[in-house]
Amino acid sequence: MKDKLTFYIERESSLHRVNPLTKLVMVFAFIILAFFGPGFWLPSLLVVLGIIPLSFLGRVQREYFRTAGRLLLPVVGFLFLMQSVFHPDVGDSRVLLQVWVLNVTVEGVRFAYLTASRIFVMVSAFILFLLTTHPSELMSDLTRRGLSGTFAYVITATLQIIPQMQAKASTIIDAQRSRGLDTDGSFRKRVGALLPLTGPLVFGSLVEVEERAIAIEARAFTSKLEKTSLREIPDTKLDKAARWFFLLLIVLAFGSKLWPS
Amino acid sequence: MAIVNLQDVTYKYPLTEEPAIRNIHLQVEEGEFVAIVGPNGAGKSTLCYTLSGFIPHFFKGELNGTVEIAGVETQKSSLDEWVLNVGLAFQNPFNQISGSKFTVYEEIAFGLENIGVPRGEMKARVEAAMAMTAISDLADRSPYSLSGGQQQRVALTSILVMEPKVLVLDEPTSQMDPIGTREVFQVIKEMSARGMTVILVEHKIEWIAEFADRVIALHNGEILLEGTPGEVLTSPLLPERGFGISRYTSVARTASGQGLWPGDRRLPITLQEAVDGFARDRK
Amino acid sequence: MRIVVNELHHTYPAGVEALRGISLVIEAGEQVAMVGQNGAGKTTLVKHFNGLLQPTQGSVHIGDWDTREHAVSQLAARVGYVFQNPDEQLFTKNVHDEVAFGPRNLGYSPERIERLVEDALALTELTDKKETNPYDLSSTWRKMVALASIISMDTPVVIFDEPTTGQDAANIARIANVVRVLRERGKTVITITHDIDFCAENFERIIALAQGRVLLDGPANDVLAEDELLATTYVDPPQLTRLGKRLGLPVTVRDEEQFLAAYREFIGTEK
Repeated sequence: MKDKLTFYIERESSLHRVNPLTKLVMVFAFIILAFFGPGFWLPSLLVVLGIIPLSFLGRVQREYFRTAGRLLLPVVGFLFLMQSVFHPDVGDSRVLLQVWVLNVTVEGVRFAYLTASRIFVMVSAFILFLLTTHPSELMSDLTRRGLSGTFAYVITATLQIIPQMQAKASTIIDAQRSRGLDTDGSFRKRVGALLPLTGPLVFGSLVEVEERAIAIEARAFTSKLEKTSLREIPDTKLDKAARWFFLLLIVLAFGSKLWPS
Repeated sequence: MAIVNLQDVTYKYPLTEEPAIRNIHLQVEEGEFVAIVGPNGAGKSTLCYTLSGFIPHFFKGELNGTVEIAGVETQKSSLDEWVLNVGLAFQNPFNQISGSKFTVYEEIAFGLENIGVPRGEMKARVEAAMAMTAISDLADRSPYSLSGGQQQRVALTSILVMEPKVLVLDEPTSQMDPIGTREVFQVIKEMSARGMTVILVEHKIEWIAEFADRVIALHNGEILLEGTPGEVLTSPLLPERGFGISRYTSVARTASGQGLWPGDRRLPITLQEAVDGFARDRK
Repeated sequence: MRIVVNELHHTYPAGVEALRGISLVIEAGEQVAMVGQNGAGKTTLVKHFNGLLQPTQGSVHIGDWDTREHAVSQLAARVGYVFQNPDEQLFTKNVHDEVAFGPRNLGYSPERIERLVEDALALTELTDKKETNPYDLSSTWRKMVALASIISMDTPVVIFDEPTTGQDAANIARIANVVRVLRERGKTVITITHDIDFCAENFERIIALAQGRVLLDGPANDVLAEDELLATTYVDPPQLTRLGKRLGLPVTVRDEEQFLAAYREFIGTEK
């Protein structure tokens, strides 16, 4: 489990070989189309005709469905419920269903479906992206295009630090419970336990940050020489064309919002 | 000609009264293996940071005297240039992992990416360095999934791949179990055998006795003793001033007080020397 | 307080079987060192003594308590546990409060807390540092604060996890002194250590673990004599034990006094 810090699935597929930036632009195109594009059914179409087929193309359909199911369905379901029940009564206010004192209207359900499908597009496009793009490749590619190396470092380091922090926090909890600290009693006891648990975590992190800064500096992190990258990142003419195409879609989506016909 | 040349070096950390190291004169020849011993608080880590350029470029404070390595003066250089000549590895292997790489192979390449080594050469250097430190089989593992000894070898390899002229090691085995310690020392020994200049701070006297060409005993920020391992590690001054010494040395010292160790024989620092001394007395 | 471990098995959630049937008894007031390579199960075993881990199978009794029936915060009154890294527990603004934290949690009277804190500070040579912020101390002194903060809980059993790692000779001597005083007070002391010389010089009983089982358990000299078995769990005998063996001494020795006595007798008989 420790070995697995990213969503990335190493596989041979044409989607894996697409340039990371192209994929990122594609993800944003999907999201912007879903939120700003015309038509009630557009987000749903994007999922059925875009994201799902792409997951097959990337040969990660199983992982995609599993992650989307686990991560998204509860959230989307909850959202759907809240929106359909609490949506203000405007538009088509025919009552479909009465829950307690609340009326579920047709407009409410429509609005809820639209919001839920938009969120679904947003999150599942990112899932697909993370499944088929190695974070190092993305960062190397962005650095090559002028993104600050420090910024890229912070992003990838953050991705990895979370499981480490969890492990550290559980050691601290063990150490303090061994000193008789009761962490599962009343609310007051829990609040009292906050400082003994967070104090060492914060102090420990300060030491760690200084040592890590020294360690990466010892490997010429701030060198003024132009950086190179271990990974060879594909960037074909097709990639460039695809990026222009997705940018065009983004512009069109905004356009349709600004100048409704 | 000495590759490391420290003249009358004194350094005081910011917001402190007393210097952490004082009047240090130190010359190290190319290819030499120098070990530094001393109680905690003697200034060993400060000396390591001074050699590796983090003093004065990372820790501010007050540095006096001259620190010169490979003909360049630290005050006239910048940290990113300095680290190309002097590699530093320290105690906690976990904090030496860059944290931004997902495999050992990438981790070792990190420094080479930073200094713009072309991809083909980078791969060749990474693979050669991993072969040298015997970690090729770890290439695809996450650095976080390794044991302490393995992590420390990865940290060392990440420095070695940069091909520094001088390697500074600040207690690289202090967090290691006996297996980890042995693994790390095998790497250090290999580096030294290949002609790299090594400056090592270490508590584990048994290993120093075996490998070092010269030992420097640091106490209260000053050089107390300097000489061959046999001279320094058997000095009666060490136990008096709170230095750790080998059990072989201390038992032979007690024995010689009781007439059980030959008076004309230097006190032992290794098992073999102890065996020879105690066995000879019997004849 | 007697510790009884009966057919203890522990399997971690990830499926690693860390303990595979351990049975042992530690009598009140014993000094026990646990040795063996990383992954042999030392830490997993002692974490059962104060309930941080629960048996997958088998049982652990601390006196008349079955650890499965008591919370960690209750067991803390019987078993003190000093973790390896002091920085994972220090959080107060001064040494005194840090050392008082444990006994306060245990609900002792203010007078008793004060007495225990003063005693623990004296034993760890921290009395003159009691107003200092622990993070202003060097790592060696922070280690002593961690020791003091457990000693002040006045538990019948004290566990040390790798007490000498990263410590210099002076501090190792201080820690050895703490172990000696606790022995004189009749406390049970259990130490996990890779520092075999420290182990040999300060502990009467050694338990060597290998792959989740007890490899050797007995008086220190008997265990240290088994160099071939110890090698299977990557433990080298102490320096003086090795020296004695190389010289051909007829008995196994583990400290200076034993070595010199055996050596004197050995050369006497040879002459």
